[in-house]
Amino acid sequence: MGFLEIRKLTRFFGGLAAVMELDMDVGQGQIFGLIGPNGAGKSTVLNMIGGTLRANQGEIIFNGKEVTKLPSHMRAEQGIARVFQENLLFSSFTVLENVLVGYHLQSQIDLSSIFFKTRSKRIQEKALKRRVLDTLEFVGLAEYSNELAINLPHGIQRLLALAIALASQPQLLLLDEPVTGMTAEEVETMLIMIRTLREQRGITCIIVEHNLKAVMGLCDRIAVLHFGRKIAEGLPEEIVENPAVMEAYLGTEEDVT
Amino acid sequence: MNRESMFKILGCIGAIALAIAVPLLLSSIYWTSVLTMIVINSLMAASLRTILTIGEFSLGHVGFMCLGAYASALLTMKAGLPFGLTLPVAGLMSGLVAFVLGYPFMRVKGIYFAILTLVTSESFRLLAFNWRNLTGGIDGLIGFPGAGVLSIPGLGQVDFDGFTEYYYLALAVVSASLFILYRLEKSKLGFTWLAIRDADKMAGAVGVNVLRYKVIAFSIACFFAGIGGGLFAHFERALGPYPTASFGIITTLYLLTYMVVGGKGKFAGPIMGAIVLSLVYEFARPVEEYQPMIIGAIAIVMVMIIPEGLVSIPERIRKWRSGILD
Repeated sequence: MGFLEIRKLTRFFGGLAAVMELDMDVGQGQIFGLIGPNGAGKSTVLNMIGGTLRANQGEIIFNGKEVTKLPSHMRAEQGIARVFQENLLFSSFTVLENVLVGYHLQSQIDLSSIFFKTRSKRIQEKALKRRVLDTLEFVGLAEYSNELAINLPHGIQRLLALAIALASQPQLLLLDEPVTGMTAEEVETMLIMIRTLREQRGITCIIVEHNLKAVMGLCDRIAVLHFGRKIAEGLPEEIVENPAVMEAYLGTEEDVT
Repeated sequence: MNRESMFKILGCIGAIALAIAVPLLLSSIYWTSVLTMIVINSLMAASLRTILTIGEFSLGHVGFMCLGAYASALLTMKAGLPFGLTLPVAGLMSGLVAFVLGYPFMRVKGIYFAILTLVTSESFRLLAFNWRNLTGGIDGLIGFPGAGVLSIPGLGQVDFDGFTEYYYLALAVVSASLFILYRLEKSKLGFTWLAIRDADKMAGAVGVNVLRYKVIAFSIACFFAGIGGGLFAHFERALGPYPTASFGIITTLYLLTYMVVGGKGKFAGPIMGAIVLSLVYEFARPVEEYQPMIIGAIAIVMVMIIPEGLVSIPERIRKWRSGILD
């Protein structure tokens, strides 16, 4: 039984097959890269694994359970978290509050606390705040905790999005272009962080990324999509030498090597 | 306790003290009834803002007020139940209907949701218009009892049929309702609503059941609209389903205007808007046909000059005094 098994996953947009009969296996603790030219269907695959988009056919099995038809909040309960491509944040909240939303599943809504707070409730809240600060420290954003999320620069916002996803205690992290638009230095920080997540917490990652240099150095295994179909899968070295991949990326050979 | 929350508490106490004192100072039935309407409008506008905390706006808030009003009136008239029971039932009924409608409605957003609420509100009004043997149809519903005698702990039996007594009853119910709405917004529930408003996709991805939280917000808002309706019914002692009367679309538009003019960003905003604009509306009564125009003109001017609403004026003055205003 695999960690994440995808069988014959298919999604149409009108008459266009965005993803066609995709089979994919991701092992626990793997960093799995999903690459391909623009419009290949990479983000569509992530959306279907994350649950923001329903598959037309096929199935997704996570930890032995079928999750194909679950809405995204139930997949979060199963341990699937998502970092979106655009800088999607809770923009009117502070950095600290952003991560606090991520802890939604770890804290209960207690109706009595609407009117008064018991001592144990206060202690619980304090402990939760401590955990939020720990998460922020992990991604290196503790110093920004009281800033409004919307005022932060792009690279920091990406890290915050990662912190929010981590707060939901995921086993599988779906990263949609995590290093796009970052400076070389920020890219390095992000890559180290993804590796650390795997080493320290055993978090599995699926990464969609255009920065091929980053993907090649980071991933254990890579699948290549082209017009919704998987044209190759293997170790980074194998992918670089695969003629079918070369053809799909025609004209961008320099980037690959 | 910091300075800001001190000011807030003092402000609340001051407002309640003023609300208690004013009818005694003015001692006129006319003004007492105007004040009662202001109190009811405050609850309606504040509960409308609750829907805004999930990033949606309803054009049908008055429909749920209509539902609560007819429910309470009919229950006192046909079933002979006391007002103390029919008022919460009116709220529960509106809340329950909103809960059931919320699941399909909350699957759409923005203008689509607004249109759905608008047609729902009109359907409720037309239901009252056409269901003659129950609601009296076009003739309206009259002859149902007022609040009557209720036993209040600490005060014993009090007759709330008088204008002044009814005003204090409405004030107490609305104050308690506003307190609950305020505390809900400051709780984790309200925090989650705001998270959904900012980025529903992201909230869903970390495990928030977005649809359920949206439906809860809508139901709570409509519950208090039903309470507002119940208070309104036994104040007016007559209900009519005409498009130009209280349950027409114009009332929802006024409520939206109260919210925007008062300031939708803060809890006190819609309440302040309801108070100020209801007073303007009353003073404009001699030129009745121009009332909507006057309110509309004020709304336009406010949106252009102080888009954050009346509630932001103290802060603006403070900034201006410390010279930061650019």
